Amino acid sequence: MIFLRRIVISALASLLALATLPSHAETPDAALVKLLDEAKAAAAVPGACAQPGLDRLVRIFCEGKIRVGVREYYPLFGTREGCVRSGYDVDVARRLAKHLGVEPVFTRVNAATRIPLLADDKIDLTIATMGHNAQRDGQVRFIRPHYFQSETIIVGPKGLTIRDWPDVASRTICVTVGNGSNAQIVSHNARLMLFDEAGVLPDKLRDETCTLAAQDDSFFDYYFTDPAFAGSYDRKFGFAQLPWGMAVALAGSDKLARALDLTSQIFHRDGVFLDIAKENRIGLGFLERQRAVWNRPECNTATGAENPACVLPPLSAVLEPTPIAAQVAAFEGWIEKHTGIALQLPMFKTMPAWLLFKAGIVNSLILVAGALVATLLFSLVLGAMQSSRSFLLRWPARALTVVLQSSPVVLTLVISAAVALALFPYSSAVAIGAAIVALGLMNGANAGQAIAEAMHTLRTERGGPAVPTADLYGRAVSRSATQIVSFLINAAKGTPIASFIGAPELLSALTDITSFASGRASTYSLLLVFYVCVVIVVVWLCGKLRIWLERRQVVSA
Amino acid sequence: MSRISPDFVPQLLAGMVVNFEIAAIALLVGLAVGGLLTWMKLAGGASGAFATAVIGLMRAAPTFVVMFFLLNIIPSDATLFGVNVAPSGIMTVALSLVPYAAAYVADNGGEALRQLRDGSPLGALLFLPNVTRAFFVLVMSSSAGAAIGVPEGIAVILREAELMPTLGDKMVLFAIGILCFGITLQAGFALMRLLQRYLGRLALRAR
Repeated sequence: MIFLRRIVISALASLLALATLPSHAETPDAALVKLLDEAKAAAAVPGACAQPGLDRLVRIFCEGKIRVGVREYYPLFGTREGCVRSGYDVDVARRLAKHLGVEPVFTRVNAATRIPLLADDKIDLTIATMGHNAQRDGQVRFIRPHYFQSETIIVGPKGLTIRDWPDVASRTICVTVGNGSNAQIVSHNARLMLFDEAGVLPDKLRDETCTLAAQDDSFFDYYFTDPAFAGSYDRKFGFAQLPWGMAVALAGSDKLARALDLTSQIFHRDGVFLDIAKENRIGLGFLERQRAVWNRPECNTATGAENPACVLPPLSAVLEPTPIAAQVAAFEGWIEKHTGIALQLPMFKTMPAWLLFKAGIVNSLILVAGALVATLLFSLVLGAMQSSRSFLLRWPARALTVVLQSSPVVLTLVISAAVALALFPYSSAVAIGAAIVALGLMNGANAGQAIAEAMHTLRTERGGPAVPTADLYGRAVSRSATQIVSFLINAAKGTPIASFIGAPELLSALTDITSFASGRASTYSLLLVFYVCVVIVVVWLCGKLRIWLERRQVVSA
Repeated sequence: MSRISPDFVPQLLAGMVVNFEIAAIALLVGLAVGGLLTWMKLAGGASGAFATAVIGLMRAAPTFVVMFFLLNIIPSDATLFGVNVAPSGIMTVALSLVPYAAAYVADNGGEALRQLRDGSPLGALLFLPNVTRAFFVLVMSSSAGAAIGVPEGIAVILREAELMPTLGDKMVLFAIGILCFGITLQAGFALMRLLQRYLGRLALRAR
């Protein structure tokens, strides 16, 4: 009896296993043939092609052609020289059309027109280097699986060892404004140098304006076909992967989208995309991985394109808004309506920007306060050393002062940061600390020299070298009040330059914000107002200090 | 030291020429703007008050922030009467130094004119060494251009330093930079002292 039960259970299990085996599921090839046959049959019905509301797949068979939007100035993906079009996107379009048995008719599109032309029914399909993000899902129907995937890559000189994020902390990376991956670069403590056009980046690498540049691998692929460029630069690492999708219109394209989904699956599985990529000398990594995915039994089915284990999700490109984003947008609109000024305040509209902005203000104030205290301390210490009767104290202080006076401010900051980074791992606090020390030393050395000179005049007035006492030193400090105050103000004015070594003060924060948001003019105007106000407050406070020091001098005299 | 590229020193010197170029442009524009502000300030009244306020704001404006402000506020395709007026990187740095230069010229120019009115032409001539001092301060400040990719002296040093594997190698490079800029600065100050002595001798002869 037990034996019989085992046999029945085994038989049932085998039946269940057979029922769930993918080999028994409909293949994408069979599903595609069936779909195309139905569409061709619908197109062949007399008068059907003249009827409104046809699915675009049927219409394509009615007309014997598919209208494809492609780019004309995107090297390796979509270019045109005279009547000759070439590139990966163009070749994919040709292969798709061939697979459907129709002729491709190309239309030029760019980043701004590739979606509107679909919606206006000027094209049936767009294959135009378009990243698939969640925002665009509401505008077009993306074909899945994706036909390519780009990623942002860091490119730099071959001799430079950069392997991962820790290696780029505190370095400057050249990027284009508005690139979605900029926020990620910023979060790893790298500094950004912004450019409007990606086309200038290779030139900036060549003329050594930029040591590192970040941009889509699809962009750099073209430059790496140049032996001279490939000989000097290499890809350091990649991040921010973005799947690229072919797309059709949201309305009236259900069957076309389904046919293209199935074709895309087949092209991945059979290595068609991979072959086209090889012919066009673009990156193969993603396509090789996708070929393996679409050969898996659970993916190689008619419903594989709906299986989350097989297809890639769209990139979520929406930044979290602040609670006051709507009010800020309304305020911007009100200003524009009443003054004509297109004010934009991106720092108040998204959470990442708001957090950067808040931290930037706090860090700027810390930096200003720190620079003032450091300047005062270094001036007192170096002033005392330079006033000392011992040459062992006097000469090193004088030598340091001469060196600091001879070093441009940016160089002093960089030296300070290099020493700090040799002692501590990079962090915002280390960068701010290094900047405070550098600004304090530079300005303190000059103020210290003024104190020493005042000490010299006091000794001369007393008829010769006197023993430096605390009282005499105090008078020297009072006498050099104007100079000390002048260098304190100079230190406060110099604090924004700390952004050069990666200190996350307001200039640095706003540069980061404008790298992924709009409103550069408003943002930098606000920055200028902020720093002018801070310096005016420092000037006022320093004025009070000078009056106190000068009164002290009068009293002690 | 052997790791330093043989092109480094010529490139550094070429970069320092850019620093001088930036300082010269800034000083020339600063003299024009500062001169105008001095004239307005001495005229008194509303224009005088306006000039005083502008000079105060110019003194308070940090050069580095002004540089980024100009860089981002002027579109790269800005035109005036059909002519592209978008400033180059060098011009952007030079213009960012103008507030400092103009405020300095206005302060010292006002003082020089006062000396002249008080019957001390030689006191007024002290304006010349003061402007020379400002010029060398501007040369040193122009290193801020490294932040926006201007190929000046410090940018050359930093570019080379990026390829140096150790802190020691970098320090050698930085020392060369300080030496080059230091010699220039000290030579400038020596020139200024010579000018002051010459003016002093003129003053003695005049007595």
